[in-house]
Amino acid sequence: MKPPLQHWLLHPRITLACRIALGLVFIGAALPKLADPPGFAKAIWAYELFPSWSLNPLALGLPWLELFCGLALCLGLWLRAATTWVTALLLAFCLALAINLVRHHPVDCGCFGTAAPKTETERLADMRWSLLRDLGLLILAAQILLASGPGEELEADGKANRS
Amino acid sequence: MTPALRVTTLRATALQCLVLAGLAVAAGLLANTLAGPSRRLAWTGAISPLPAMPPLPVLAPRSAPPTPSEPAPQPTAVQGAKALPQPRPAPPVKTTPAAAKAAEPTAPPPPAATGPIREISGPEAWLAFQGKAPFLDARRSAEYTEGHIAGAWCTPVWEADLEDRLISFKAARRPGPDDPIVIYCSGGDCHDSHLLAAKLLKEGYYHLLIYRDGYPGWVAQGHPFDKGRP
Repeated sequence: MKPPLQHWLLHPRITLACRIALGLVFIGAALPKLADPPGFAKAIWAYELFPSWSLNPLALGLPWLELFCGLALCLGLWLRAATTWVTALLLAFCLALAINLVRHHPVDCGCFGTAAPKTETERLADMRWSLLRDLGLLILAAQILLASGPGEELEADGKANRS
Repeated sequence: MTPALRVTTLRATALQCLVLAGLAVAAGLLANTLAGPSRRLAWTGAISPLPAMPPLPVLAPRSAPPTPSEPAPQPTAVQGAKALPQPRPAPPVKTTPAAAKAAEPTAPPPPAATGPIREISGPEAWLAFQGKAPFLDARRSAEYTEGHIAGAWCTPVWEADLEDRLISFKAARRPGPDDPIVIYCSGGDCHDSHLLAAKLLKEGYYHLLIYRDGYPGWVAQGHPFDKGRP
């Protein structure tokens, strides 16, 4: 028997809402990048964190990974694998933004495709908001991971068998 | 849950993670193969740009910019213009011989004085334009189509067909290693022109002039521009 708070936080409906929201965000983030890989490569380059040889493979593969993970979350397929990737990607995005914020290097996030030109101050403000948004998304991912853990799946299977 | 079952579940998750990554790589490869030139990327480092360069020296303009009393050339959008430079407007007319000499379109200074790559301001870009120096547009091809400096070559540094475009440019203009080449992008903190300059430097061109203000500055100065595909 779970404590009431944990029972409420890991309720299947909350999990469904979390994975649909997270899935839609990742699908929405992937589509503009898929439409313009060179623009995304340029956005990655602006972070000044990756070696030049890795820019194009990242720009070509990452949007598809986001799309597949978003679709898997929305459809409820391979939930743990998709959420693991989403968590890893969100942690990487947070780290990239935080490093550039610490070194006061304003970059366009590139999260949802190419953005309109902005001033350095606007970019830094956007980066802070993007970091907060990614941390919020990480909470959703954590909920899905906890609710769809091996123990939870077993318990769900047991309930299904009893019914 | 037994440890054995837990290990099995973890293995299944890891395998699914690998399958997702593999699918992403395969889809990326396929999509890139089918994409048009302006949406395609080279998988490996052929066109991978160099790291950001430190600020470059800016050479002061060698002649005064047109005064308000002088008629600035009107913006002219030439639809479907060819890539070769179009007839240029006459340079500003000065009254004194010294000023007239200063205003004459002359070739930019030799590279040895300031290094192989340097930034230039609007007046010097205008002089280079009048001196029929080639202009390379390093922005995306879609931006070039929307508007570019008259006669500029479309050489988008982030697109996969950059090499082909540079080969066409070299075949048509045959620039020597010390001939001036003006490169521009969108001005401001746009680095595309610097990336293209770094690439051309590696190919043996030693007189590369980066027009700092880029296309927006050119249009704001009322200089001629074209629209349409290269």
